[in-house]
Amino acid sequence: MTPKQLIDELIYRSSLAMDSKNFTGFLDLCDPAFRYAITAYIPEIRKEMTWLEHDKDGMKVLFDNLPRHNSDHSSLSRHVTVYTVEQDEAKQQAKTVSALQVFKTSLDGGATELFAVGKVYDTISMNGGNPKLLDRNVRLDTRMLGIGYHIPL
Amino acid sequence: MSRNEIAWKEQPKFPSTHFVDTRIYTDNEIFREEQEKIFNKCWIIGCHESELPNAFDYRTFHHPGGAQLFMIRGEDMKVRAFYNICPHRGNTLLYDPVGNAKRITCIFHAWSFSPKGDCTDIPRGKEGYQERYGCKDASLREVKSEVGYGGFVWVNVDDDSCTLKEYIGDALGMMEENLSMPLEVFTYHKAIVNTNYKLWHDTNSEFYHDYMHYFNRITGMMQPGYFDRKYKGYPNGHASVGSMAIKYDAYAGSQERAVGWPGLAPGGWVLIDLFPGMTFNLRTSVLRMDTAIPLGPDKLIIEFRGLGLKSDTPEQRAERVRDHNTIWGPFGRNLHEDLLGVHGQGLAMRERSDSKWVLHGREENSTIHDEVGMRHFYAEWGKRMGRQASDPFGDNKLA
Ligand code: FES
Ligand SMILES: [Fe+2]
Repeated sequence: MTPKQLIDELIYRSSLAMDSKNFTGFLDLCDPAFRYAITAYIPEIRKEMTWLEHDKDGMKVLFDNLPRHNSDHSSLSRHVTVYTVEQDEAKQQAKTVSALQVFKTSLDGGATELFAVGKVYDTISMNGGNPKLLDRNVRLDTRMLGIGYHIPL
Repeated sequence: MSRNEIAWKEQPKFPSTHFVDTRIYTDNEIFREEQEKIFNKCWIIGCHESELPNAFDYRTFHHPGGAQLFMIRGEDMKVRAFYNICPHRGNTLLYDPVGNAKRITCIFHAWSFSPKGDCTDIPRGKEGYQERYGCKDASLREVKSEVGYGGFVWVNVDDDSCTLKEYIGDALGMMEENLSMPLEVFTYHKAIVNTNYKLWHDTNSEFYHDYMHYFNRITGMMQPGYFDRKYKGYPNGHASVGSMAIKYDAYAGSQERAVGWPGLAPGGWVLIDLFPGMTFNLRTSVLRMDTAIPLGPDKLIIEFRGLGLKSDTPEQRAERVRDHNTIWGPFGRNLHEDLLGVHGQGLAMRERSDSKWVLHGREENSTIHDEVGMRHFYAEWGKRMGRQASDPFGDNKLA
């Protein structure tokens, strides 16, 4: 596979892992220095906001604590399209921009609704042909998120 | 033994102040009456002064009584509030939720208004109206507004209302020191939930539901001092809950607290509920402010604001953002649980779902798991509505 294909596949696999709540599988795709954030611009107050922010350990704690919380058990389906990939040979990194649509499907009856749209900004460490997620910023356009959600997007 | 139909509807074995009839959460007639007798009479938070820092800044607000409003800062730096409706053919004047307008011009036929609410121009006015109608007849409808108690912009659509000070009384006294410096809103979001606004305010008025929050159970309930926290009721239906020390490091991944809040002991927590649907919630390094805006008996918008100090350094602000979003915000651990709770109540208590009573019967000397906060709210509700929450239609034949 070309580096571009490897990068695309990494991003798509990360979504598949999250969709199936395979959190260990998701973390396996992340570099030890991984950082994750959900951010948005809030026009009502003209300010940037970070809704969720964790390093790899923090993500693991969040995932481990999930069963202890009361949560909406609807499933999410993440639709990601990698728009651009910029590789930095010298740094052995790539930066990507992907479009994101997240759909939520209720358990009772299986009705699906759009949960959120936005872009995903990833930094990927190329890791000698075995690329890993180094940084992910899920940047949401959607800010009306209903009752919210306990699992990252 | 489970209960049959008759037993299910039997009056709970409490005084009538200690339960409510669930029709108060589902009935449309009651909701309309609440808009009239409660929301259109009470002081409501429209926004915060930091959302309008400059002259001519404005912010729109959907008033829970139904009116669409905007608040705008004049050239004199005074904030005023108006109906966001053009006196000509009823168009919305300001479409964006926030902006800056030296002059407010309706997009339809270009009538213009000043930030003081005067009509300043009617295109081809003389030609069309001759001497019959002019700018002097076309001012905006101003509603009462005051800035205070932490820099919030309060509005009251009742021209004959009491002052904000009279309305609040001593209810915010416990936070006086905490609110004494300039504050700034750093986060804002809304949630729409299919539930009744009172159920949200109830959740903000009882801590017994800490059982729902894993975070609160281990950081609060299992720590010494938790059960000493006390409710205090104030006139006009307001209530407060005093502080305690929260052991935040009991939750794995919780940051060490450094920034805190002036006048709040480390690990402290003060919560004040204002009738009919606003909550000041001061915890960790953040003041959270909820405003409940009902759209119907079973539909609610909640506006959530997180505030820090205006003087924050970027590092302090970043910590407040983290503290806020760990438990609150759309991806926080606690807020989702609270919303899940009232969402579930909204599902269970619908017209025809044969729900009947909601219990507010716990008595524990006004300490944290007592349900006196809700009882205090419904005493005021009943007074203003001229209805008893336990028998809103007078047909329950209460003993
Ligand atoms: S509706 Fe506003 S100018 Fe006509
Ligand atoms: Fe709660």
